[in-house]
Amino acid sequence: MSAISLQNISRHFGDFAAVDGVDLEAATGEFLTLLGPSGCGKTTTLRMVAGLEQNTGGRIVIGDEVVSDAERGFFMPPERRQLGMVFQSYAIWPHMTVFDNVAYPLRIRRRPKDEIQQRVTKALKLVEMDSFASRPAPALSGGQQQRVAIARALVFEPRVLLLDEPLSNLDARLRTQTGDEFRALQKRLGITSLYVTHDQGEAMSLSDRVVVMQKGRILQIGAPEDIYQRPRSRAVAEFFGAPNLVETTVRGCKQLANGLFELDVAGQGWSGTCRAGEAFASGVPALVMLRPETLTLADAATGGMSWTGEVASSIFRGAQRSLVVKTVAGALNVDTTAFAHPAVGSQVAIVADAAAAWALPATRQG
Amino acid sequence: MSELSAPSPTGGAMAGARVGATTPARGLSGLVSRRGLGMAALILLLSFLTIYPFSMLMYGSLHSTPPGMAGEYNLDGYRQLMTREALGILLNTIGISLGKTIPSLGLAVFLAWIIARTDTPYRDKLEVLITLPFFIPPILTAMAWAMLGNPQVGLLNQVFKWATGANYSPINVYSWGGVVWHMVQYSTPFLFLFIVDVFRAMDPSLEESSRMCGASRLRTFGGITLMLMLPALTNSFILSFIRGMENFESPLFFGTPAKITVITTEMYNSINHHATPDYQYATAIGFAVMALMFLLVFAQWRILRGRSFATVTGKGYSPSVMKLGKWRWVTFGFCALFFAVTVVLPVSQLLIGSFFRFFGFYQWDMLTTEHYQAVFSSSEIWRAVTNTMMLGLVGATLTMALGAIVAYISVRTKWRGRRVIDALAWLPWMMPGMVLGIGFLWAFAMLPGPIPIYGTIWALLLAYLALGTPVATRVMTGAYAQLSFDLEECSRVHGASFFQTLWRILVALAWPSFAVGWVLTFFGIMRELSASVLLYSVGSEVLSVVLMKLWANGLAEQVSVIGLLMMLLVILFRWVQIKILQRYVTTLGA
Ligand SMILES: Nc1ncnc2c1ncn2[C@@H]1O[C@H](COP(=O)(O)OP(=O)(O)O)[C@@H](O)[C@H]1O
Ligand SMILES: [Mg+2]
Repeated sequence: MSAISLQNISRHFGDFAAVDGVDLEAATGEFLTLLGPSGCGKTTTLRMVAGLEQNTGGRIVIGDEVVSDAERGFFMPPERRQLGMVFQSYAIWPHMTVFDNVAYPLRIRRRPKDEIQQRVTKALKLVEMDSFASRPAPALSGGQQQRVAIARALVFEPRVLLLDEPLSNLDARLRTQTGDEFRALQKRLGITSLYVTHDQGEAMSLSDRVVVMQKGRILQIGAPEDIYQRPRSRAVAEFFGAPNLVETTVRGCKQLANGLFELDVAGQGWSGTCRAGEAFASGVPALVMLRPETLTLADAATGGMSWTGEVASSIFRGAQRSLVVKTVAGALNVDTTAFAHPAVGSQVAIVADAAAAWALPATRQG
Repeated sequence: MSELSAPSPTGGAMAGARVGATTPARGLSGLVSRRGLGMAALILLLSFLTIYPFSMLMYGSLHSTPPGMAGEYNLDGYRQLMTREALGILLNTIGISLGKTIPSLGLAVFLAWIIARTDTPYRDKLEVLITLPFFIPPILTAMAWAMLGNPQVGLLNQVFKWATGANYSPINVYSWGGVVWHMVQYSTPFLFLFIVDVFRAMDPSLEESSRMCGASRLRTFGGITLMLMLPALTNSFILSFIRGMENFESPLFFGTPAKITVITTEMYNSINHHATPDYQYATAIGFAVMALMFLLVFAQWRILRGRSFATVTGKGYSPSVMKLGKWRWVTFGFCALFFAVTVVLPVSQLLIGSFFRFFGFYQWDMLTTEHYQAVFSSSEIWRAVTNTMMLGLVGATLTMALGAIVAYISVRTKWRGRRVIDALAWLPWMMPGMVLGIGFLWAFAMLPGPIPIYGTIWALLLAYLALGTPVATRVMTGAYAQLSFDLEECSRVHGASFFQTLWRILVALAWPSFAVGWVLTFFGIMRELSASVLLYSVGSEVLSVVLMKLWANGLAEQVSVIGLLMMLLVILFRWVQIKILQRYVTTLGA
C-alpha cells in the first residue's frame, strides 16, 4: 500500500493549468522529491496534498483514505488530514516560545500536560533544539527556526511529512549540513516525506526517488541515478548541468541482460556504442548525451567515441576545470581535473566512456 | 558625506576655484551658519506653534486671571479639578471613550476580515464605502442624527410609530447611547483602515501551518491570527481611545442636552456658558487631559516595545481568501448595512430636511426650496464657504510643506537639532483641538499690537497648521523611508542645493504621499470644530462654526442644505483621491 497516491490530479487557475494531470505514488517510508524550475507547479501539488489548495481534477488518497476527490466534490480540510508540513518561511509563530510552538499540535489534540511535556522534549531533542525550549521564537536564527518547524511537524507523528523548499532560506554551508541531518532523521523515523525543491543537488543527495516536473506535468520519475544518468528526454537531461547532446544515426541495436539496450551509432566521420533505455530502429536519428565529467582527455584519439579538437575556452573552477573543445561532433563541454590545463588554442583528444553515453530519441519533446 | 557635497553659491564657487588647496574652510562655515539659521528659524516656527500656546496654558492654569490682567498665582484651577463633580466628568469621559472603542474595534476587525479574507462580492467597492464615514465632518452626521433620532419628531421614531402604530419613541439620541453610537460611526472606519492592512500584510503560512497542526479555521483565527495582530490591535485601541477623549462634536450634540458632560464639553462650557469665563479651570482640565494622554502614549510605548512581530512576508502572496458559499451575501449585506446606516441614512435625512419647510413635519404641501434660496443668498454663509475653502487650500498646502521639510530633516539628514524639530512637530498630537484652541487664544492675545493675529483668519490658519503637522509629518516620513538614499546623494553630488534636492525628490517620487497627506489635511481642516469655535470671530467664521450657530438658532433646514453641499465636496475629493492617487500609493495613508 502506498502512503500517498495522486491520481490524475490537476489545478486550474482560470484557464491556466498550474498542475495538469499528475499521477504519483509514494511508498511508505519513502523520500520523494518534486523537482523542477520555479513556477512548474511543485508547491501547488504539495499544497493540494496538504489540503491548502483544492484540486480541480483527480483524486488524492493518503494511506487508505480518500482525502480529496474532485469528481465527487469531496474535499477534506487540512486539519483533518493528519499531515506534517514545513513551510519555506518556516511559519514559526513569533508570539510563542519554541516550546509552545512545538506543543501547539498536541494542545489542539487535547493531550494531557505531562504527555505534551514529554513528547515536545523528545521532538526538540530529535532536532537538537531542546536547550532552546523557553526561547521566544523571534530570537532564533534561520537554521534554528527550520529545526523548530521540523519538530513541530513531527511531534504529533503525522502520516506524511510535506516540505516546501525548507532549505532555500539557509546559507549554502548550512544547507548541505541541515539537509544531510534531516535525511538521517527521516531514515531513522521511517516517515514518508514529500519534498519540494528547485535545487538539483539537494534533490539528488536526499531523495529515494525524484519526480522531475515541467509546466505542471511530470517528465520523469526515478532514482537520482536514473534521472541523472538515464534521462528519458532531452528536457530532463538538460535540467541537470550542461550535457553535450550529439546528433547521431542509429546503425544497430541489441538488448543487454540488464534490460537496457546497446546502440551502435555513427556521427559525421566517427562511430561508437552507447546505452539506451528503449529499442531504436536502424537508421533513425538519436541524440547521444555525454555528461562533461564522463569525457576524459587523452594523448590521441583511439577510435570509437573519441575526437580531437581545439580548446576554445578553459575555466578553472577549483575542483575541476571546464573546457570547451571544438570537434567534428560540435563544441563539447569537458570537465577535467584542475591539474590538466591545456592551453587555449591547443589540440587535444577526447575519449567518451561508452557505458556513460546515453541515447535519447531525437524527436521526443518534453 | 552628503553635507560636504552641497556647495553654497558663494562657498561652492570658492571651493571650486581652489581645487586641491586646503579645506575650503570659508565655504563650509558659511554653509553651516546658513543651515544653522534655517534650523533656528524652523525651531522658532515650530515652537511658536506648540511650545508657546503650551506655556500660555500652563500660565493660565496657575494664574487667577487671563494673561495681561492683574491677578495672582494659585492652584485654584487644579483644586477645582479635585472635586467630586470634576472627577465624575473625567470618569464619564473615560467610560464613553471605552464604551465606543470596544464595539468599534470588534466591528472594525469583523469588517476588515470580511474585506481582506473572504470572497464577499464587490469587496473593493465595499471597502471604499465602509471608509467613507471617516471623511465626513462629524458635525454633519451629528446634526443629521439629531434629526433622525430626536425623541419627539425624529424621522426614525416617526417611521417606527407609523409602521407599528405604537405611540412611544424607541430611539433617543440625546443619551449616553447616542453619544457612543455617533462616535462608533467614526472610530470604526478609522480602526478599519489600520486593521485591514494588518490582515493583508500577514504571512498566510503562519495561519496555514496552524491548520496543518490540526486546528480548525475558527481555532486558527482565535489562537494565531488575532494573537499575531495583538500588538497592532493594542496600538489601534489606544489611538482610538485617545481620539475618543478628544472628541467634541458627539458629546456636544448628544450629551449636553441630556446633561452628560465630558472633558471637552466641560472646557467649552466653562468658557462659553459661564457669566465670566472660568479660564483657569478650563486650562487646568486641559493640562489634566494632556497628562492623561501622555500616560497613555507612554503605556502604549511600553506595551509595544519589542512586540511588533514581523509577520510580513517579502513575497507578493495574497493571504488565502475564505470561500463563504452563500454566506458571502450575508457578509456583503452586513457591509452594505454599515454603509447604509452611517452614510445613506444621515445623508437622506439632510436631503429630506433641506426640502421641507419645517424639520420634522414631512407633508407634501410642506415641500419647498426656500432653504436653498436662503442659504445661497446669505452673505454670512458665502463668507464662511470662502473662508473654509481658503483655509483648506492654503492650510493643507502649508501644513504639508512644513511636514515635508520636518520629515525630510528628521529622517534623511544627520543635522544637529533634528530630534528637537521632530519632537516639536509631534507635540500637538497630545493636545486635543479644544486645548490647543485655548492655548492659541491667549497666545495670540498676548502678541504685541503690531502683529494682528488675534481675532483674524490667521489665528485659525496657525491653529490648523499646528493641529495638522503631526499627521503631515508622519505621512511624509513614511514616504521618505521608502526611497533609497542614493537618489538624493546622487542629486546633491551633482551640485543641487538642499531645497533643489528636496523639491526634486518631492516632485519626482514623494508627490503621491504628499497628495494623500494634503487631502487628509484638507478634510481635517474642513471638519475641525473644537479649536475653530474658540478662535473664530465675526468675519472669520468657517463652515463648521456657521453650522453650529445656525443649529443653535433652530435653523436645522438650512443646516441640511449646507451639510449636503459639504457632502458633495467630500465625495468629490474622496473620488479624486481614489481614482488618481490609489494607483500610486498602496495604503490609504490614514
Ligand atoms: N493562487 C494562484 N492564482 C493564480 N496562479 C497561481 C496561484 N498559485 C500559483 N499560481 C501559478 O501556478 C504556477 C505554479 O506555481 P507554484 O506551484 O507555486 O510553482 P513552483 O512551486 O513550482 O515554483 C505558477 O505559474 C503560478 O504563477
Ligand atoms: Mg514553490
